[in-house]
Amino acid sequence: MDEVATKIIDILKKHMKEPRDDINLSTALTDLKIESLDLAMIVFDIEDTFGIEIPYNANEDVGDFKTVGSVVDKVKGLMAAGPAAAKA
Amino acid sequence: MKNGNGTRRVVVTGLGVVTPIGLNVADFWSSLQAGKSGVSELGGFPLDDLKILIAAQIKDFDPKVQLKNYKRDKIIVHADRYSWFAAAAAEQAVVQSGVEFPLENPYRTACIIGSGAGGLTTFENAYRDLFIHNKRATNPLTLLRIIGSSASAHVGIEYGIKGPTFATCSACSTATHAIGIARDYIQNDLADVAIAGASESVINYGTMKAWQALHVLSPQGCFPFAKKRNGTVLGEGAGILVLEELEHAKRRGATILAELVGYGMASDSQDMVKPTVEGPRYAMQMALDDARIEASEIDYLNAHGTATKDNDINETKAIKEVFKNAASKLAISSTKSMTGHPLGAGGGIEAVACIKAMQESWVPPTVGLDEADPECDLDYVPNVGRAMKVNYTMSNSFAFGGLNAVVIFGPPPA
Repeated sequence: MDEVATKIIDILKKHMKEPRDDINLSTALTDLKIESLDLAMIVFDIEDTFGIEIPYNANEDVGDFKTVGSVVDKVKGLMAAGPAAAKA
Repeated sequence: MKNGNGTRRVVVTGLGVVTPIGLNVADFWSSLQAGKSGVSELGGFPLDDLKILIAAQIKDFDPKVQLKNYKRDKIIVHADRYSWFAAAAAEQAVVQSGVEFPLENPYRTACIIGSGAGGLTTFENAYRDLFIHNKRATNPLTLLRIIGSSASAHVGIEYGIKGPTFATCSACSTATHAIGIARDYIQNDLADVAIAGASESVINYGTMKAWQALHVLSPQGCFPFAKKRNGTVLGEGAGILVLEELEHAKRRGATILAELVGYGMASDSQDMVKPTVEGPRYAMQMALDDARIEASEIDYLNAHGTATKDNDINETKAIKEVFKNAASKLAISSTKSMTGHPLGAGGGIEAVACIKAMQESWVPPTVGLDEADPECDLDYVPNVGRAMKVNYTMSNSFAFGGLNAVVIFGPPPA
């Protein structure tokens, strides 16, 4: 796993009530038992860590975030696009 | 069992406080007995250009320790400090009451915990982040920390309370209004048990600046009714009661601490800062009428006693009008001389002081009262508490905006 993936998994573990060591890119987020408030904290932490803004609305299904790998891909995409693109 | 009015009777079965002079009822009471003042040098944040450099801050509260028993409410330790105080005081009151929450019918329980201002320190920190540190966003929990009903929600979640749950907000009368409303809900058969009171924690740079601009804070100390008094001192904390319908308490063999016999409220409808005599007088008389007792039956009055020029003279006049000949025989004290002014939480903490006074047959003093203001010429139990039989107690709360609330506690029903 690369640095982005490692950092994201560390952030997930930090906010999980019962952190697991077997999280990999194919782990489904629904398996991590993340509650809505934890999700907000996780998004906040990821944004701070990578200097990006993740467009996401807690009222909508988040198709981009099915697995840990999809989160990593999304973050990499936002990082490549730069902060301006994320705001658009 | 119903009282003379044919209404359900409401008793107190649990007490909880978090104060600058004790993080629980036992320590708070020892401090009152010792005449200990909670006023100290202001600290914990950059003081910058502040001119008022004292406050009655709570300096030894660790939420991880104090809230370690919170099981259902998972984010309480991430909440604003005002919610921490409420949660800790509520737990003390619940434990003492012996009520096993959630009740079989959780819709018959209420949680009314007010706050004069909610999470102002969270507000300040969030705005510092945004406006000074140019952060791109606030912490995601900011909104939940700020809202003035978050303390009642946190406590309600912890104890599985599904009945009326909200906050009251009436500045320095907040807790007394919360206790009064909870009493009414039980009396009117909307609930059998209520957790009621208030919490406050607003001592930060911005709040100190705002109070300073109003020019009502003392740079020296909180000396109610004293000639030397020159303003109040900001405090913080929480005071929470468990209220219960009498028969409900009896059926489970609870220890009944007191009966909440009277509640009165009135608004001056006059001025934001200049109190009237009429409003406080009406509220006190209404509470006496509600309790169906004479003013002369009150043994101890816990005064609002903020140590502002206006309040103490005005309150003294109102007491004289209500108590008439009995005024000079009444033991009156302001525990704010020791706790500082806990703002919205005041009435909750002072209700606990009243009930303890009844239980211990001892009334707390007004400390710092070396020489009384000639216009404040009643018995304010100066400097040393007094052992005496306390049958009925009255607790006054008066607030900016002229919002007055008064409760009366009596002995546990035979």
